[in-house]
Amino acid sequence: MTGSREALPDVDGSGLTLGDRAAIALTEYREGNRQALGELVREATPLLWHTVRAQGVDQDAAEDVVQSTWVALVRHAETIAEPKAVLKWLLVTAKRAAWESVRKHRDDEKRRTELPDDSPEHPMALPAKDPLPDAEVLRDERDRILWMSLQKLPGRCQELLRLVSLADRPDYRHISAAIGMPMGSIGSTRGRCLAKLRTILDEQGDFSWI
Amino acid sequence: MDLTPESNQDDEAVGDLSFDPKGALDAGDGAVLTRLARAVEAVDPVPDDLVERSLFAITLAGLEADLMEAVYLDTPLAGVRGAAAAARADDTAPAEAKTITFTHDSLTVMISLSPAAGGRVRIDGWAAPAAGLDVELHRPGVDVVTVASDEDGRFAFDSVERGRASLVVRRTDGGGGAVSTPVIEL
Repeated sequence: MTGSREALPDVDGSGLTLGDRAAIALTEYREGNRQALGELVREATPLLWHTVRAQGVDQDAAEDVVQSTWVALVRHAETIAEPKAVLKWLLVTAKRAAWESVRKHRDDEKRRTELPDDSPEHPMALPAKDPLPDAEVLRDERDRILWMSLQKLPGRCQELLRLVSLADRPDYRHISAAIGMPMGSIGSTRGRCLAKLRTILDEQGDFSWI
Repeated sequence: MDLTPESNQDDEAVGDLSFDPKGALDAGDGAVLTRLARAVEAVDPVPDDLVERSLFAITLAGLEADLMEAVYLDTPLAGVRGAAAAARADDTAPAEAKTITFTHDSLTVMISLSPAAGGRVRIDGWAAPAAGLDVELHRPGVDVVTVASDEDGRFAFDSVERGRASLVVRRTDGGGGAVSTPVIEL
């Protein structure tokens, strides 16, 4: 097992990130440990769920997209070129499958609305989409301020920060890349989206966020 | 690509803020992200058994069956799983039959789930185009049960324990590849 580890991230005692653990899990799986992916599935499913949901996929379909992403990982386990980038691979795969699901759903709805009985006399109700998740469940004032402030960011920034919050901080860079928002210069680990959010939060008043 | 929506000018005006927008993550960033993670989970929680279903789906991946896609157009309000869970939570309620359709390039399978004695489930299925099919019912920790369809593509499992399950469908003449449904909650 030692030989294969050489290709894995070199950690300096600061602990492994989710991206690192994903790489190790895939490598061990390739080496024949069929149980190696269990912990990764537990840990990264929330990230995949929110990635898929951010593409506008409703709940039922999102569950299937997440499942099929994990199945795809197993099926491609031997051919993923860079185990180190497996977290990004998972996010990109989930995102593409989500787009495909949205496209098919739209095509289906279009086909249905084109049925002859869909006339003004017999309007056909399309199934209601899941209501957008809202902030009603957030009881804490700072949580609500944070959520409202997040909504003021561009959509892709919102998506990025929701995902980054669920991963380990050093995975920020991988997640940004998966979302198609590279972080730019090496020196800026915070990234524009988070800086922007902090600015908006500061405008909301004198809350301590620490 | 410019990701800031309206004005960028205020990027220059943040000098008097307590953090450096170009700098490394600070403690405040960490706290904001931690709080955001909690909010994300509260607002749109990951479905309870999605991890377990994914883990079971992984164990079935070795069957080399193409994944079918579930069609949810006919379940506008309560999702299929939500309805099943609700029925489970209240066994005294007269649970209605639930129908789920699965599609793949070559095959459409429709299943109807209805309550059976002892809190179990009856699965009635129908596949199109009609052909002789072997239908396997896979569940975690239980032996696979296989039934054959009739020539119209109809098949049934009379009494199945509730829980995670996936159907794998193969043509008896060996034509076409095997297909499997996503793991669903019966």
